[in-house]
Amino acid sequence: MSFSVTQPTSRQKWFAGILVIGYALLTILPLLWIIATGFKSPSDAIAYPPKVVFEPTLEGYVNLFTTRTRLSPEALSEAGAPQTWYDRIVRQYGMVISGPSRYGERFLNSVIIGFGSTFLSIFLGTLAAYGFSRFRVPLKDDLMFFILSTRMMPPIAVAIPIFLMFRQLGLSDTHLGMILLYTAVNLSLSVWLLKGFIDEIPIEYEEAALIDGYTRFQAFYKVVLPQAATGIASTAIFCLIFSWNEYAFAVLLTSGTAQTAPPFIPTIIGVGKDWPAVAAGATLFLVPVMVFTVLLRKHLLRGITFGAVRK
Amino acid sequence: MKTILHDLTRLRRGPWEMVATLLIALGVFMLMQPFALWLYSYSFLVTLVGTVMFIVVSHFPE
Amino acid sequence: MTDETTARTSAASRRPPARAIKGLSDRAVGWIFVAPTIFLLLAINIFPLIWTIRLSLTNYRANRTTAEVSWVGLRNYERILTDPDIWNAMQATAHFVIWTLVLQVLIGFTLAYLINKKFKGNDLWTTIIVLPMMLSPAVVGNFWTFLYQPQIGLFNYFVGFLTGADPSSFSMIGDVALAPWAIVIVDTWMWTPFVMLICLAGLRSIPDSIYEAAECDRASKWRQFWTITIPMALPFLMLAVLFRGIENFKMFDLVVQLTGGGPGSVTELTSINLKREAFEKWRTGYASAYAVILFVTVFGLASIYVKALNKVKER
Repeated sequence: MSFSVTQPTSRQKWFAGILVIGYALLTILPLLWIIATGFKSPSDAIAYPPKVVFEPTLEGYVNLFTTRTRLSPEALSEAGAPQTWYDRIVRQYGMVISGPSRYGERFLNSVIIGFGSTFLSIFLGTLAAYGFSRFRVPLKDDLMFFILSTRMMPPIAVAIPIFLMFRQLGLSDTHLGMILLYTAVNLSLSVWLLKGFIDEIPIEYEEAALIDGYTRFQAFYKVVLPQAATGIASTAIFCLIFSWNEYAFAVLLTSGTAQTAPPFIPTIIGVGKDWPAVAAGATLFLVPVMVFTVLLRKHLLRGITFGAVRK
Repeated sequence: MKTILHDLTRLRRGPWEMVATLLIALGVFMLMQPFALWLYSYSFLVTLVGTVMFIVVSHFPE
Repeated sequence: MTDETTARTSAASRRPPARAIKGLSDRAVGWIFVAPTIFLLLAINIFPLIWTIRLSLTNYRANRTTAEVSWVGLRNYERILTDPDIWNAMQATAHFVIWTLVLQVLIGFTLAYLINKKFKGNDLWTTIIVLPMMLSPAVVGNFWTFLYQPQIGLFNYFVGFLTGADPSSFSMIGDVALAPWAIVIVDTWMWTPFVMLICLAGLRSIPDSIYEAAECDRASKWRQFWTITIPMALPFLMLAVLFRGIENFKMFDLVVQLTGGGPGSVTELTSINLKREAFEKWRTGYASAYAVILFVTVFGLASIYVKALNKVKER
């Protein structure tokens, strides 16, 4: 390597590396702790001093996915020997499994609403971004600012009229209502990000296509779309993560059939202070995002800065 | 100073945007300061004037 | 639209020869692309906004749909802007916004500066630092209540370990003096990476040649830091500050799960306060006026943000 005055020395690199790694370890400690708690027994979870070494159990996960009833010793012996491993775990506490919990449904709702709104906001967002990028749309700057400002609005303030509107239209607590709402919120991000990506595609490609006799629309989906694919994919991940994580609208506008996981997870704790079950629910919900982030780090990190810095 | 005043009278965008920005900042400060209730009471008016002014003057020529 | 206009528009923007395609002008095609988005945003953002302004002038209550609604003029605004409780909520928000910004800028910039030294494996460690900000704030807030438990909580144990205090002697979310700091700590843990990433983009936008020139002029490292690094990264820092400031001004999910606004109302930020008025006390008209005040404030801040954005873009 050639010597350069702007290259940090290896001692500086060491020093910087140690500090950053120290901060990183401190930062993931709470996350590791919550994952570990999901595999603890309730008594281990609240032990003092906090237990780092413990016997792992799936009790938390069993409690997360089931509802249980306590039986008297006589009724328990009548019920016969436990059939499965999860029956056995529950029996230790003198209980039997009485049915599935709602966690599965809530998780599925998150998936449906997340993917539905992501698809819609990418579809509409790509069209709009292309329109803004390539055509002289009247009042362009004002429209772009208006689109951006919709994302900055406080959700609770927006929720008042949305609540009334959804009640009138029968959209409260429906998947369709939540998909439309999240689409509208995500649109601002997708239009802004995608406009940035499409702006970078040289206009000459389309000019060539137009001269070859393509129509505007053909030029759009045969030339521009393939070029913007990476940008579209990373924008989609941002939209998905937003819908996945959203809480304020979900807690106000859904209560049953369309309730997503974030408003549901805090209610798992119940009266029994069942921390392992909460931790298990949180783990299942958060770990997919963590894995995604690590795998797609190049695109995601670029997207975050791009979204906030570029216009 | 003289040029700023001159630009303001000629309805140029830059200095007017600065005035609007300052008004918004002042309004937000008044909204959240812990010193006097009357400042809080008038904060909304100041922010509103600043914001409307910002929208109007952003259409002035450079 | 005539060919003449399309020709003029394309000439002005150096666009391809705008032949009218199937009878559509360039401008009309543009509108076809943009219209669905604008329509959805009108239906789900603008229409509700106008409705909120209308409601804010009435005494409507959403839980009593049969009750008679009457116009009250600006009385809702008058009452909100003279209510000491709401003023308190604004101050609680100010405490939260200011301290999270101070901590996140200091830590975030330092981390970005260190990561920019490009030590081996820096991108993996950057990703690990970024993890918290990708997660659901409500779920994160919920599990931090576990870490903040007086005796069993990891946070209390950690603090006890470092300072020698008894981990069961203090409760971060139960104590009036500590709760405002509890929410600052979690938000800083969660969002410092955002500030860090923006600062990193700023630092990376500084060309090496400037430092090389400074080196030739025998400027000390310390001097280079204050006369090159800071001023060049400042516009990016401004963006991060404005963005996080707006986000935390409207903070809801994280704090509502963490403290629920308590103890008492010391962490009752404006959004939580507003939710209480709108969806617990059901004073819809009153809450709408409250919402309009927040709208205008955020809208004002957003315009400053866009202005700052344009400054950065000019670079």
